[in-house]
Amino acid sequence: MLRYLVHRILIMIPTLVAISIVIFTIINLPPGDYFSTYIAELQSSGEAADLAKINFLKAQYGFDRPLWEQYIFWAGGLLHGDMGYSFAYNLPVNQVVGDRLLMTFIVSFTTILFTYAVAFPIGVYSATHQYSWADHTLTLLGFLGLATPSFLLALVLLYLANVYFGVSIGGLMDPKYVDRPWSLDKTLSVAAHLWIPVIVIGTAGTAAMIRRLRANLLDELQKQYVVTARAKGLRPLKLLFKYPLRMALNPFISDIGSLLPHVISGAAIVSVVMSLPTTGPMLLDALRSQDMYLAGSFLMFMAFLTVIGVFISDLALAALDPRIRLQAGRRQ
Amino acid sequence: MPGPNPQSAVIDTRPNRREALQLGLAAVVALAVPDGASAELRESPSLKGDVGDGKLPPVEQRVPEEPAVAELETIGTPGGELRMLMGGPKDTRMMVVYGYARLVAYTPSLKLVPDILKSIEVEDNRIFTLHLRKGHKWSDGQPFTSEDFRYWFEDVAQNKHLSPSGMPVSMLPQSEAPRFEVISDTTVRYNWERPNPLFLPDLAGPSPLFIYRPAHYLKPFHQKYAQKDALDALVKDTKQRNWAALHNKLDTMYRDDNPDLPSLDPWILKTKPPADRFIFERNPYYYRIDKEGNQLPYIDRVILSIADSKIIPAKTGAGESDLQARYLRFDNYTFLKASETRNHYKVRLWRTGPGSQIALYPNLNTNDEVWRGLMRDLRFRRALSLAVDRHEINQVIYFGLAVEGQNTLLPQSPLFEPRYRSAWGRFDPAEANRLLDLIGLAKGSDGIRQLPDGRPLEIIVENSGESTEQSDVLELIRDSWRRIGVKLFQKPSQLTLFRRRVFSGEASMSVDKGIENGLATAAMSPWEFAPTTQQQLEWPKWGQYHETKGAAGEPPNLPYAVRLMQLYEEWLAAVSEEEHTRTWREMLQIWAEEVFSIGTVAGVLQPVVVNDKLRNVPEQGIYNWDPGAYFGIYKPDGFWFDMSEPAKSASIDLPAASPR
Repeated sequence: MLRYLVHRILIMIPTLVAISIVIFTIINLPPGDYFSTYIAELQSSGEAADLAKINFLKAQYGFDRPLWEQYIFWAGGLLHGDMGYSFAYNLPVNQVVGDRLLMTFIVSFTTILFTYAVAFPIGVYSATHQYSWADHTLTLLGFLGLATPSFLLALVLLYLANVYFGVSIGGLMDPKYVDRPWSLDKTLSVAAHLWIPVIVIGTAGTAAMIRRLRANLLDELQKQYVVTARAKGLRPLKLLFKYPLRMALNPFISDIGSLLPHVISGAAIVSVVMSLPTTGPMLLDALRSQDMYLAGSFLMFMAFLTVIGVFISDLALAALDPRIRLQAGRRQ
Repeated sequence: MPGPNPQSAVIDTRPNRREALQLGLAAVVALAVPDGASAELRESPSLKGDVGDGKLPPVEQRVPEEPAVAELETIGTPGGELRMLMGGPKDTRMMVVYGYARLVAYTPSLKLVPDILKSIEVEDNRIFTLHLRKGHKWSDGQPFTSEDFRYWFEDVAQNKHLSPSGMPVSMLPQSEAPRFEVISDTTVRYNWERPNPLFLPDLAGPSPLFIYRPAHYLKPFHQKYAQKDALDALVKDTKQRNWAALHNKLDTMYRDDNPDLPSLDPWILKTKPPADRFIFERNPYYYRIDKEGNQLPYIDRVILSIADSKIIPAKTGAGESDLQARYLRFDNYTFLKASETRNHYKVRLWRTGPGSQIALYPNLNTNDEVWRGLMRDLRFRRALSLAVDRHEINQVIYFGLAVEGQNTLLPQSPLFEPRYRSAWGRFDPAEANRLLDLIGLAKGSDGIRQLPDGRPLEIIVENSGESTEQSDVLELIRDSWRRIGVKLFQKPSQLTLFRRRVFSGEASMSVDKGIENGLATAAMSPWEFAPTTQQQLEWPKWGQYHETKGAAGEPPNLPYAVRLMQLYEEWLAAVSEEEHTRTWREMLQIWAEEVFSIGTVAGVLQPVVVNDKLRNVPEQGIYNWDPGAYFGIYKPDGFWFDMSEPAKSASIDLPAASPR
């Protein structure tokens, strides 16, 4: 087992190096760089850019050097925690990202909780009552949730919330609380704003989860051990929770790997539409304006989380499911 | 000193501005704003606390001894918060634009007057003597003197590390730097051998030429003045690469993202970026007062909330902004109007300043030889222009509210003549067909004309793909061009890529906004009408040739383009207003006849949302970048909130308070 762990950890290093090269290359693929995009943007709105300042920054950040040198400079910085400099914000990347992470965590965790809270009972119910009218109705609702474009739902909910509840449009709190320290009022304001993004981001995820849970559970419910347990007179609920449901959970644990980066990046499109102060819109903006260190370091951070997440979910699976644990043991 | 004694004009206290303000005369000219008989100064209520605690000196010691007296429509009461929405943290610079505290500034009637300066003397457009206000202070209370000008001129603009590309171009007519003299604590002089007509308009620009810096604040970060060890430690602490990078990072007079940087603006930044909400507080040392002795600005705080630019119209409609025009477009008008009463604001419609909302640019430098020959054929350009149905575009897309015509100056400009807009601007497909027949472009069997080499006449119009407005207009032009046997295709690409394709000559025609400054006066540079920069989509290579002083690009080789260039040079060298007007007129005439760009409609309306309680915002205005600085020209320091009005209904009185 220890050898397995060390092996897994060592293999992360070349994976991350490869990812960093891919990220850096892709970010630099579109023509131009941050400054030419910035100048073009200013000029198209009639403003002239301060060329002296831009030339100064270009020289400072080695834009005149070959690409591989720039890569080494960036990757070297990452190794000792320097994520580079954001040109758009005129600040080190660490400081730019810092403030938004908390909000992103809040939105994402609430969304995940919402998804679980809605999807689990429905999924279990529709599996145990397959093809009942309730199953059909819930399935229909789930498909509706999956099929509705989330940005449209976001706009509709924003408008309704503003007109009927007086909630300010967009953002995660009333504008007057943005720079205040945390207080009860601020928390309430966040709660009043939070439900829209949670519902919007949650609906699609909820539907998908209901379908998967239902399918997994149906597979298990057909198995012979369930029939045997029933025949021996085990109480239906106890039977359901103790055996088939546990087996049906495996896919969710292996999902943790993709969940971690999702928690950080948030749902970018919905966040843009709703103007949430999360990291999603920032990443999108950085990519569009070719703010390369901000975008690159951010993507790298997400790649790192994915790799860690996959690692954790593998360990968790082994711990939770004896079959996987024993098979792994036999192979070694 | 030659000419009449300028001192007399400086001390002149007649209350009439206009008489003292004439620019561009050959003789010595003095510009001065009369002081006006000001009443006793009054302390702003929000600062009384700080003055009482001794944190701030009383108002008499804060405003300059000779403050600027604002001429306002109504005298206001100080106080209140102004909320605005911005699309990104970089937009903090808009407060420098809106604040519009400039050494010299434009009035709403486009006259240049001293603003921060008490007065200025101009001799032959060559020698500029600037007089500061005695006792004028930076926002941190330190005196604003000629040393601040000297610091920029000697230690910033001429420092190889801080300004690697040298002095700004508008300080270098014919590549010649001025002689700079400090005459006294409040007087400096710039002396050029040749006229420099760009100097004053640039000082008054929305993104102005800052020829001064808060020297007392920046010196500790300058190699020449700081202790080496202390500076090195600072550089290390802030993780900058060297002292120049640190100095440049702190010195953001335009970008306005350093809350510690002293400023002369009406509101100064208090929030340290990054943030999603920026607070600007009143500058206690501001130099303007109203006639009753209230120090401006009236409004205590300006709050910029950052939101995605696409959601800003919706937020504005929900009453979350007290003064908003940025990121609003004409097609938001009906939506905004619908919630006017519910959210206590009014939507006003201001005119915009570009010469044409949307203009087509035949690329005279396109690479394809056949196309290039055609684009350079005057008859071809005229025919294309005649086949654009401007009336239809106006009616269909702008509800008939825009001004039809070519891409040139607007009727509000003193240089305007109707024939500039109307030349080749009527809809006449028959004449257009005749011109194309004359060139010898025969129609094929499908009704589409053919190029001399047999290819069909299919014009690909490239655009930056960012506005649906452009593609709507192009669709209408496509239909009308079909009638003269010309096919139009749209090719959207990303903004940077689009410009690159035009610059390199890969694109043969492009579409973009028309000329920026449709309101030009004779004293403003006619650079947009001559090949002066690569940014001009009709002749990028000729522009690049001028911009790089011949190092890249191609010299202009169409006679009229050459003539435009000569006229531009003549304008630069001219001293008198008559000469400036003459060169302008000839350029406009050539521009009208040659149809270098094909205009559609101009003066499209800009919705401006104004809170019901906000006063002194004009009903009718021009929303323009330069000259105008958007709201700047109307001096927002004089805007104020009228809280006296009794609430008409039971609804909550404060702007957009949200019930919870």
